[in-house]
Amino acid sequence: MSTTFLPCGDYHQGYAEDHAWFQTKFIKGKMIALFLVLFVFIPISYWGSIFQSAFNIDNYWFSLIIRYISVFGADEYWISVFNMVGYTILGALGVQLLIGYCGQLTLGHGAFIAVGAYTSTLLILEFPWPEFMITLGLAYPVSIFIAGIMAGLFSVLFGLPSARVKGFYLILTTMAAQFILVDFVITQYVSQIGGRGQAFSLPPGTIKIGPWLIDNNYKVYFFMLILVILSCIIISNLVRTRVGRAWVAIRDNDISAEVMGINVIKYKLLAFFVAGFIGGITGSFWISNLAAISPEHFPWFLSLWLVGVILIGGVGSIHGAIFGSLFMVVIMELLQLAVIPLADTYPKLLMDFLFIKEATFGLAICGFLIFEPNGMAYRWWQIKNYFNLWPFSY
Amino acid sequence: MVHPTNKLKEQTEEEILLELKDVEMNFGKVCALTGVNLKIRKGEIHSVIGPNGAGKTVMMNIINGLYRPQKGDIFFKGKKINRVKPYKRAKMGMARTFQKVEVFGGMTVLDNIRLGRHTHYKSGIFSGSVYAGKTRREEIKHRTFIEEEIIDLLEIESIRDHPVGMLPYGLQKRVELGRALALEPDLLILDEPLAGLNLEEVEDMARFILDINEEKRWKVTCLLVEHDMGVVMDLSDHVFVLNFGNTIIDGTPKEVQDNPEVIKAYLGEEDLYATRR
Repeated sequence: MSTTFLPCGDYHQGYAEDHAWFQTKFIKGKMIALFLVLFVFIPISYWGSIFQSAFNIDNYWFSLIIRYISVFGADEYWISVFNMVGYTILGALGVQLLIGYCGQLTLGHGAFIAVGAYTSTLLILEFPWPEFMITLGLAYPVSIFIAGIMAGLFSVLFGLPSARVKGFYLILTTMAAQFILVDFVITQYVSQIGGRGQAFSLPPGTIKIGPWLIDNNYKVYFFMLILVILSCIIISNLVRTRVGRAWVAIRDNDISAEVMGINVIKYKLLAFFVAGFIGGITGSFWISNLAAISPEHFPWFLSLWLVGVILIGGVGSIHGAIFGSLFMVVIMELLQLAVIPLADTYPKLLMDFLFIKEATFGLAICGFLIFEPNGMAYRWWQIKNYFNLWPFSY
Repeated sequence: MVHPTNKLKEQTEEEILLELKDVEMNFGKVCALTGVNLKIRKGEIHSVIGPNGAGKTVMMNIINGLYRPQKGDIFFKGKKINRVKPYKRAKMGMARTFQKVEVFGGMTVLDNIRLGRHTHYKSGIFSGSVYAGKTRREEIKHRTFIEEEIIDLLEIESIRDHPVGMLPYGLQKRVELGRALALEPDLLILDEPLAGLNLEEVEDMARFILDINEEKRWKVTCLLVEHDMGVVMDLSDHVFVLNFGNTIIDGTPKEVQDNPEVIKAYLGEEDLYATRR
């Protein structure tokens, strides 16, 4: 939580400057560069094809150039990996808010993602939307919002024990959310709605925001980017204003928080609501990437995975959720890529890859807890300060 | 904004801010407090002293709302607050520091003090998440107040961006005082503000307490629990002596010093005999 030091010679001359988003021009430049990389360079092949079809160019040399440029961006496979990263970031942000900022240990966040996904799916498939809503493509955006609220309310419901219990006991009550909501309610009852059987398939063309049909990985990628950026902005604004400070105070010392005028129970439940809301949005975002959803998409391991992600990334920072997600998802993909060439000689490796994945997950957490208990975000903070304060770092 | 304590001049000196009436508190068979009566007048420094285990901190917790007494009533600003929750008492203008510092270790000094102003901030979950217009102006307004009134008063400019958990004990105590001050309280409960400080820090802290009690800007009524007799006798207008949950005396420092019961409670019979000789 501590602030990053500014390079020598950069001073603030007013409180507004100290509260600003981009404190120096250099930081602003870096952020613009990051936006360019995220929106333009990574999906460059998508922009290439858009460009080509928009101007109707049928030139051999032009397509060749486009193809060469596309080499620098991510191909369809890596875009889908990045979508997974975004999904994990969105999920981990909710967990980060509860564990990292409000200190309420939770192991049931996957359930609220599931609630969001199912609310959104059911609204799209079963709800009798008025005709103009469908044609304007408002069904999905509205369902995202409702999914967020539903998941938030369920989160508050399972967060109610937090008024009485702390720590390990709260872990158990939040785990109950996973087993009651996903394994019981969704699997046994919600899945029966509409008589489709276990999985709900989402016909192509249903996931539509306004006129924008989300039908390939690149579009999911842009949608993901917008959601991740929005929720990062919202959470980082929240934690630096009244509500977020109250959350951090409850995390650090709930008795003195109450003495300083914070209604502890109200703020705990508010944290559960906001975390659940983000979880619900995560779930309803994820259906845009899926052809069908079933309860198996939201196992208890997902909740555990999200907690692992923030442990690795760093508890109590938004950077932590992002770095943790990047690390976990990309490492797993690289591991898979490494295993595939070995599959000819050791076929069992590929067969048992799931176990390798889980073992790596455990190993990574152990390694981080031993060697970098503050997570990757702390290391990032140190690196930034090193460069900002160089050469006199004292 | 007219600060409530600025109206102080028009009011009589004798107005009672906090009153305990026959308060009794038991933990099982242990009587922590029996029949305690206490009146704190506006604008004074009222000390509570007593040997270890006399029930001083229990008394503070009762005033603060962390414990609920079995018998007796508590009045704050003329209102009965027996069943009022601690966070609502904070809104009524009651702040406290703790014997063992209870700062928010992971937050910076500035954020700790900002948190003390929680009841003065207005932004909610929606305006907070957008952080524009009103919220931005509010943050700047309170930041100005904190910087100019509290950080300047307590001389902690250089550490404002440090996480409190990493600061030395003396500074943590100071931050805790700043956090309580940020509430702009009418009654400030200081539970052993000098415990564990070195001589220089004790002098600083005593100066701060006098400042916030006497400066026209603050005029905060202080309820002080302390073991350092020199400081207590110098600072307080009234001293309340407690021993094993019983009131011994509630009077001016002079009266307390001359009271044989107090000397007995503190020094025991033997030493009393020794001092007479």
